[in-house]
Order: sequence, then structure tokens, then C-alpha cells
Amino acid sequence: MDKSTIICRCEEISLEEIEKVISNGARTFDDIKRLTRCGMGPCQSKICNCLVAAAINEKTGTPFHEIPLPRMRMPISPIKLDTLATNSTTFSSVKSVLDEVELEDGKVR
Amino acid sequence: METSYETIIIGGGVVGSSIAYHLSERNKGGILVLDKKFPLSGTSGSTQAWVWVHNKTPSWYAEFSMYSAELYPYLSKKIGDVEYKRTGGLSPFFNEADREKALLLAKTYESIGIKIKVLTREEALEKEPSLNPEVAGATYSSIDGNVNPFRLVDRYMRAAKKNGVQYSTYNKVTEIQKLPGKFMVVSQKGTFQCKNLVLAGGTWSRELGKMVDITIPINQLRGQILVTEPLKPFLNYTISGLRQAFNGEVLIGYSMEKEGFNRATTLEVMQETANLAVHYVPSLRKAKVVRAFSGIRAMPEDGFPILGRIPGVENLFVAATHSGVTLSPLIGTLMTELILDGDTSIPIDRYSITRFNNMETK
Amino acid sequence: MKAVETDVLIIGAGPAGLAAAFETASRGLDVTVIDESLSLGGQLIQQTQNLSSLPSDLSPMRGFELAAHLIKQIEEYDIRYLLGHRVIGFYQDGTIGITDEVDVFPVKTKKMIVATGAAENAVAFPKWTLPGVLTIGAAQTLINRDFVKPGNDAVIVGSSDFAMDVALQLSEVGVQVKGIVEKSTGVLSRNTEKVKQVNKIGIPIYVDSSIVEARGMGAVEEIVIKQEDRVFTEKADLVCIDGGRSPILDIFYQLGTSFGFQKELGGWVPQYNKDFQTDCKDVFLAGNAAGVSTQGALVLTGRLAGMNVCEALGAVSKETAAVEKKGLWKELEIVETKYNLDIWHARNRHVDNFTHPVLKDQFIS
Ligand SMILES: Cc1cc2nc3c(=O)[nH]c(=O)nc-3n(C[C@H](O)[C@H](O)[C@H](O)COP(=O)(O)OP(=O)(O)OC[C@H]3O[C@@H](n4cnc5c(N)ncnc54)[C@H](O)[C@@H]3O)c2cc1C
Ligand SMILES: Cc1cc2nc3c(=O)[nH]c(=O)nc-3n(C[C@H](O)[C@H](O)[C@H](O)COP(=O)(O)OP(=O)(O)OC[C@H]3O[C@@H](n4cnc5c(N)ncnc54)[C@H](O)[C@@H]3O)c2cc1C
Ligand code: FES
Repeated sequence: MDKSTIICRCEEISLEEIEKVISNGARTFDDIKRLTRCGMGPCQSKICNCLVAAAINEKTGTPFHEIPLPRMRMPISPIKLDTLATNSTTFSSVKSVLDEVELEDGKVR
Repeated sequence: METSYETIIIGGGVVGSSIAYHLSERNKGGILVLDKKFPLSGTSGSTQAWVWVHNKTPSWYAEFSMYSAELYPYLSKKIGDVEYKRTGGLSPFFNEADREKALLLAKTYESIGIKIKVLTREEALEKEPSLNPEVAGATYSSIDGNVNPFRLVDRYMRAAKKNGVQYSTYNKVTEIQKLPGKFMVVSQKGTFQCKNLVLAGGTWSRELGKMVDITIPINQLRGQILVTEPLKPFLNYTISGLRQAFNGEVLIGYSMEKEGFNRATTLEVMQETANLAVHYVPSLRKAKVVRAFSGIRAMPEDGFPILGRIPGVENLFVAATHSGVTLSPLIGTLMTELILDGDTSIPIDRYSITRFNNMETK
Repeated sequence: MKAVETDVLIIGAGPAGLAAAFETASRGLDVTVIDESLSLGGQLIQQTQNLSSLPSDLSPMRGFELAAHLIKQIEEYDIRYLLGHRVIGFYQDGTIGITDEVDVFPVKTKKMIVATGAAENAVAFPKWTLPGVLTIGAAQTLINRDFVKPGNDAVIVGSSDFAMDVALQLSEVGVQVKGIVEKSTGVLSRNTEKVKQVNKIGIPIYVDSSIVEARGMGAVEEIVIKQEDRVFTEKADLVCIDGGRSPILDIFYQLGTSFGFQKELGGWVPQYNKDFQTDCKDVFLAGNAAGVSTQGALVLTGRLAGMNVCEALGAVSKETAAVEKKGLWKELEIVETKYNLDIWHARNRHVDNFTHPVLKDQFIS
């Protein structure tokens, strides 16, 4: 296939860019993603997943069943922050940086 | 592939790769980095990547962080564009009690040369008009910023490789033997020998320590981050809790969870993080979240870096820390000095593993 | 608070989900069906082609007729429908989080059946991202659901059954199909009847061929095809690509089920046992999510998953369940071997591999 062919349409990453990081040792979709942004677009790799697997298979000969899936994440499809938020302003595990400033005898430690 | 090296570094994350690069600036060749997967598969690939100084405590730790942040502009000149932006850092607060704390912080840090301004509500809103108008104020320092962690590690690696450093990836270290004057490092792909050995295994440091019979007291602390769709640039500063990346995505999150090595995300924390986002910056309400990710911090038992020699084992070194993105230029520089010159230009005794009394070899 | 508690949550209201809803609701269980679309039927509602390999209790009918039949079947039961709702994730304890686009709220369920279907795979060639290049499924949706003629001159890339269906449906609405391009040395469709029809209306099929590139300013205008040493250009404002389909895995991945690889079933498929139960014991699956197959088989997997859930919740006796399940597997064998023997074999291999998954613990680092 022509090297200029776009593999990740969301982030406009070409086959050439993907092959380059594979030759630098990247093996999985996630390795390639971190180095090129391929897969980090709005579709979150739903479209480019199979094309990247084909590129890895083509370039390294790794059989498809040994090429792991990209790590999938929530939200299962995009969602507005407003919808996701519950509008509470108390936080249990989410901290503010100033919370972490420790005082000792009325002084900053 | 050669099997004998001057120095082997286990772990190719931001810490290991920085050490490899800085070492290679002075000693070309003879350096091998081993990684069980690919660099960035660990914590360095799932981080907020603020280069953050101004409200780290205690002051000596803030000072240490500041020296590292100061190295960033020069580093980007040397290894290439890592999308480092010294945006200045803002930590908003919403009540008057926090203002007291903030003023105290500003006063203390003046003496070590970290300038912190405590902004009034109006000043904060003038600097960052998108902040919630209910804000009470904010601490501000011009030294803070952020970086693209993927590019950072990639550029460290490329620059290191250019200087002759070898990387062996997808190659897990399973055993370390100490022989007179050298180490034998057993990995999935073969056995290597070296004079100097650096343990930079991040959150897996305990496991590496066990191989040489020492305890490296690193624990796991999960953090979840939300990523929005790209938005047109509208945030001027790195706000503690959220930042806008080069491409317009906003990264939100600051959670701390004891979940071991489990990198899952959970809706409760995602919802809390969304609360934080709309509470700090109400205009984010309409933005869509496209992804959540989570990373496992390598958290030393007392929170501070573990750096330097491992006493009792000649030529064995450790570098394990939280805030490794902020600290990587400095850690790389100082560890290089320690390995090649036997001493460091900025003292790191405070960060020695000997401070933990459970350190005795078992 | 909108929170929901139910016995059985069925995610996806396609043929598989609807069949599972019937099995469970008709045996008295409290059933909730969620689908992001506003109507029941899933991908079936835009399928106008005749479905030949259906279970023995159903006479041959068209796709949308099957959807109507399955919907009618559950009309009399008191099922809770959450249409226009999406599953967006899970809480720490496994409670499902769904949204109505206003809020996110929890659904607690004793058992869940995931029937979220399959997604179409892309095929890349230079300039495939030009407007005018669509998947065959998208083209079909435009014709049959939105009643839009997607173009005037079309080229189809790929020659599966589905591609043949779409070629015929495009011709019916007056789109000139210039050719079907297949990279293998033969036509992939096993439905000789459909291939004959395609031949009869004069659509050329180029085997052993590939797309060199698409061309156009702002939208596709022509397409360059290579067959052995011959390179030629067709004028086309519509290119329909058929890259096959793969199970949609997001929900399974978040649930932490393990996966196995079966090319014939669409690639990575959640691991499941003979009861269509994943290794998360309260999670069952059905339809294309359990391996891409034919509509008759999808309905049967829905019934099987439903039956197993009934058994697990004590809505049928073990004995009845055993008899029913045996019958359903037998039917599945008949329908699937008739449709495509390779898929049947792959399904059995997959079930046998249940205890040896290839991908697992994906969140443990
Ligand atoms: C949510 C979150 C937010 C954060 N935000 C910030 C921030 O804003 N600013 C900041 O400065 N820091 C931040 N951090 C912390 C920072 O990301 C880490 O301190 C840094 O990435 C650690 O780098 P590392 O190289 O030590 O670890 P890693 O990147 O994990 O590298 C360790 C490497 O060692 C390898 N390894 C382990 N065991 C073996 C073995 N047996 N054999 C071979 N290789 C092995 C691993 O494969 C891995 O690649 C954050 C962290 C998290 C989780
Ligand atoms: C556009 C298109 C056209 C097709 N046309 C043909 C054809 O002509 N011939 C053919 O043989 N096959 C065709 N198929 C294949 C089709 O997938 C199957 O025939 C069949 O409909 C699959 O049944 P199912 O029950 O497994 O899934 P589906 O019918 O796909 O049903 C799955 C349902 O789950 C819902 N869902 C998914 N994720 C979520 C979530 N997170 N939250 C809530 N709801 C969710 C979806 O909205 C959908 O309604 C087509 C597929 C597509 C995508
Ligand atoms: S096509 Fe790659 S992320 Fe969408």
C-alpha cells in the first residue's frame, strides 16, 4: 500500500509514520498510539484499530491473535462534562493541590 | 547484540530514559536500557505532566523541583521540541481559610527564591477569565508549566540512541546477580553484564529491589484523568487540576486511590473529576469527554524521591520517584554526576534510601 | 433519582437482544432493555433483503419484518424500555452507569445480557478519507432508513453477502453500480443466488483487484482500480467499502471479561462458554457481539443467552433448561452450518477455549 495512505483519519496519521515507529520497536497499538497520537482522536481508535493491526502484521509478521487490542476506556462513547458531573462540590478521592500543602505549628512544613 | 556494558538501566520511562540520555552526553556507548514493555507503557505514559513547583512542600522539595523546572528550556534546546510550555501555575481556592494557608506559603517560599503571588478574586479572574466567578482567590507562580510526556520520553530516547545508547524493549529483567566488580542481569532475552546498575523501575521498584535483597519502599497510588475533545485555546495557565494541551484537549484530574496495580477507571471518580472541572471552569460544561485514563503513581512511602547509591552494594543505584516528569532533567543530571564523578553538584543525601529504617538487607 | 433495579438488563435491542428479552420476560423475570437508538430492532430495521437461514419456527422473511416479528412477540410483557439511553461505563462495584443525556445514573441488575452487535471495519487506500467514501452499512442506512440516494455512480470494495445485498439495493434506488472490486481470487459471497442476480443486472465483479487510489477535489470523483497488470479509472461519486465486521467490545472490555481471537467470527471476541456466559459470571452475551454470524444464528444466540439467564435466576427448572438448550444448540448448528461451516467451527473452537483465554486482566499493569 502507498506509504502516504492515511491510517488514522481522526488524527491524520499516515502508514509511513506508523511504520517508522514500528521499526523503532513499537509492537502494540498502544505503543504506536503514544508515539504518534494514532488512535487518540474522537473515535478513540474504533476506526483505525483494525488498520493498525494490519500494519503491525504486515511489517513484523506478528500473527493477528498475538496483537493485543488497544486498551479501551470509558466513557463508552463521548459524553458532555455537564451530563457526567453530579454538581456536588465535595471531593473524596479528587484533591486540590492546596489540600496537600502541609502545615506544622502554623507554618508551612 | 552485545552482552557487556559499562552501565545498565532497568526501566525506560521518563526517569530511566533521562538518566540514559544525560549519561550518554558524557559517555558515548556502553549504556543499555532494558524495559519489560515499551517506554511509556508505565506511569510516564499516563500522567498529567505538569512541570509543577509552587506548592510542593516542604520548601527543600519545592526548591529541588524548581531547579529541575529551570532546566527545561535548555533541555528542549538539546533534545528537541517536547512541547514544554511555562504557562505559569494557578491554584484556585474557594474559601478564606485557604487564603491564610496560601499567604503563609508565599512568605515561606520567598526565602528560597520561589515567587508566589496570592491573587485576589479579581486578580485571579483577570488572569484566567474562565475561572468560576465564585473563586476566592488563587496562588500563582510563573515557574510552573507543562510538557507533552510522550514527546519528552520519545525525545530522550532518540537523543540517547543517537549517542549510542541501546534499548532492549519487551525484555523483562527476572534476576540480578552481584558478582565481584560486576552485575549479571538476567532478562527474558538473555543475560547481560555491567559494572554500574541503575534501578529505574518506577512503580515496580519493589520487585526490582527484591532481586538484590533490598526493600525499595515504593507504593502504588492510582490517578484518573479525563480528556476532552480538542477545544479552541482558552486556558492561559496550568491550573492545579486541569490543563489544556497543545492540541486543545483539556486534561482534568487529580485523584488518589490505593488500588494496587489496577489501572481501571471507575465512574465514581470520573464523575467527581467532572464535578471538579465544572466547579473550577464552568464553561467546560459543554465540552465532551472522549476518554478517561488512569495511571499508577510510583509513590515513595514518605512521598519524596528515592535517589542515589544503594549502600552496601557497590555500583548499584536507584531512582524512583513521584513527579518524575517535573524532576527528570535534574534526576538525569545528578545521577550522571553520581555515576561518573562519584558526587553531585546539588546534594541529594536527603533523598538517600538509607532514610528508611526498614532498609536493612533481609 | 432515576436509578433502576432489575433482574435482567439487556443492552442492545437488535435481533439478539429482542430474542433474549422474549425468553426472559415470557418466563416472568423483570426485564429492562436499553438501547441508544429511539427504536427497537437494531441494525435489522434497515435490512430489506430476504433472510433465508432462520430458525425453523420462523418462515423466510425480510430483515425489517423479522424485527417487527420480534417486537410483536414481546409486546404483551411488561418490559422496561430505556430507549435513547446509552451505557457509558461502570462503577467500582460493577453497577452499570447509563445516561439519558441529562444525567448519568446507576442500573443494578442480577444478570446482564450484552447484545451490542458488530461494527464495520475500514479499508484504507490513498484518499479513502474523501467524502463520498462510506462503509456499505452506512450506505444501506442512507437508502433504507433515511430514504436518501447516496450518489449516482458507485463502486463497491469487497464482495461479501452484505456487499451483494447493498449492490442490489443501490441499483434498486437508481444508483449505477460501476463494479465490485475484490482482492481475493474469487467472490467471497456464498449466496450464489445473490451473486447471480448481481451478474444478471450487469454489475461487473473484478476479482484479484485492488484500489490504487481515489481522486477528487473535496469529494470523491473517480477511483483507480488495478486488476493484475491492468490499471483503469472509473468515474464514481460513491465508494462503498466492505471491510467485514467485528464484535463491539467496549462494554466487555470495561467489565474485564477475557477475549479470544477467531478470524471467522470477526477477530477478537469475548470469551464465553456453552451457556453464552462470560468469565464475569453475571454477564451473558448474544448476537454479533458473540461472533459475527447470520441473522438466524443471532436470534438463536439471543434465545440461548436468555434461557441460561432464566435458569441462573431459577425461572425455569434445570431439567427444562437442559432440554431447551440442547434443542437451541441443535438449531444453531443447522442454521450456522448451512450459512457458513467455518463460522460454526470457529464458534465451537471459541467455546472450547473458554478456560484458556488469550487476552485477560487488561487493566493490571
Ligand atoms: C495520574 C497521574 C498524574 C501525574 N501527574 C504528574 C504531573 O503532573 N507532574 C509530574 O511531574 N509527575 C506526575 N505524575 C508522576 C509521573 O508520571 C511519574 O513520576 C513518572 O512517570 C515516573 O517515571 P518512571 O520512569 O519512574 O516510571 P515508568 O514510566 O513507569 O517507567 C518504569 C519502567 O520500568 C520498566 N520496568 C519495570 N520493571 C521492570 C523489569 N523487571 N524489567 C524491565 N523493565 C521493567 C517498566 O516497563 C516501565 O517502562 C503523575 C502520575 C500519575 C499516575
Ligand atoms: C449499518 C449496518 C447495516 C447492516 N446491514 C446488514 C445487511 O444488510 N445484511 C446483513 O447480513 N447484516 C447487516 N448488518 C449486520 C447487523 O449487525 C446484523 O445483521 C444484526 O442486526 C446484528 O444483530 P445484533 O442483535 O447482534 O446487533 P444490532 O442489531 O447491531 O443491535 C445492537 C444494538 O445495541 C445498541 N447499542 C450498542 N452499544 C450500546 C450502548 N453502549 N448503550 C446502549 N445501546 C447500545 C445499538 O444501538 C444497537 O441497536 C448491518 C450492520 C450495520 C452496522
Ligand atoms: S481513526 Fe484513529 S482515532 Fe479515529
